[in-house]
Amino acid sequence: MIYQILNKIDQQLHIENVEAHCDIPCGIYDPIVAQISALTVVRMLDLMTEFEAKTPDRNKDYMNSMSRYIAVKEEHAERAKAEIRVIWGDYLKAQHLEKYPNAHALVHKIMQLGSKVRQTTDRDQATQLVDAINEFAQMFWETKGITTKRAKAPYAPALELVYPAL
Amino acid sequence: MLRFLKVRGDSLAPEYSHGDFVLVSKIPFWLAPPTPGDVIAFRQPGYGLFIKRIQNLSPDGGVNVIGDHPESIDSRVFGTVRRKDILGKVVWHIRKA
Repeated sequence: MIYQILNKIDQQLHIENVEAHCDIPCGIYDPIVAQISALTVVRMLDLMTEFEAKTPDRNKDYMNSMSRYIAVKEEHAERAKAEIRVIWGDYLKAQHLEKYPNAHALVHKIMQLGSKVRQTTDRDQATQLVDAINEFAQMFWETKGITTKRAKAPYAPALELVYPAL
Repeated sequence: MLRFLKVRGDSLAPEYSHGDFVLVSKIPFWLAPPTPGDVIAFRQPGYGLFIKRIQNLSPDGGVNVIGDHPESIDSRVFGTVRRKDILGKVVWHIRKA
């Protein structure tokens, strides 16, 4: 009853709004994009290795295909870095950092590995990137009180990823 | 002295929901200083008019506020709220019907 009266008054006189809001988009953070992007980097390296072995001619078709693999590798390495930066910068709060004092060092490691996989064709560095982002994903879900599980990705390269156990 | 405000957002959910009305007043603070747990309305320069819960008192006389939602924008983002920016304490909460 009182609410309805206030609502009528609000419609006529516009009661001032008081914000109880969250960041925008509210709470929509998920490290899975970064995980899949890191996995894509490994996949591109595998395709490059395979393609190099089966293609003897270094002609323009070879250059064309190889440059496409490289472009996708570049794009996904950068996407993985960007996604982690957003979660780190926008989602992680002081109380999370108190609980996970290694978070800054872990993010820095991901940034460095993300650059390294762009500069090189070292598969070992790319799998390290997947591992580091998995570690970040585990921390992220823990901050939300969600337990995680590890399972192999259902596509090549079937590396292990951390998933929320929902 | 007394003013009605309409809550927008869910950082204090489930206690305060989007669309609820609150009556805020400074009178309670004439009788007793702000205390952790009090829900207050305040104008944070550069951010706007907010409703949040007092988490603790700052040594400089202000208060640190926190929302109940993990993604809340509060003192973890904008720092301490100065006493002069506090509009008042919630003295009546009218929930959305």
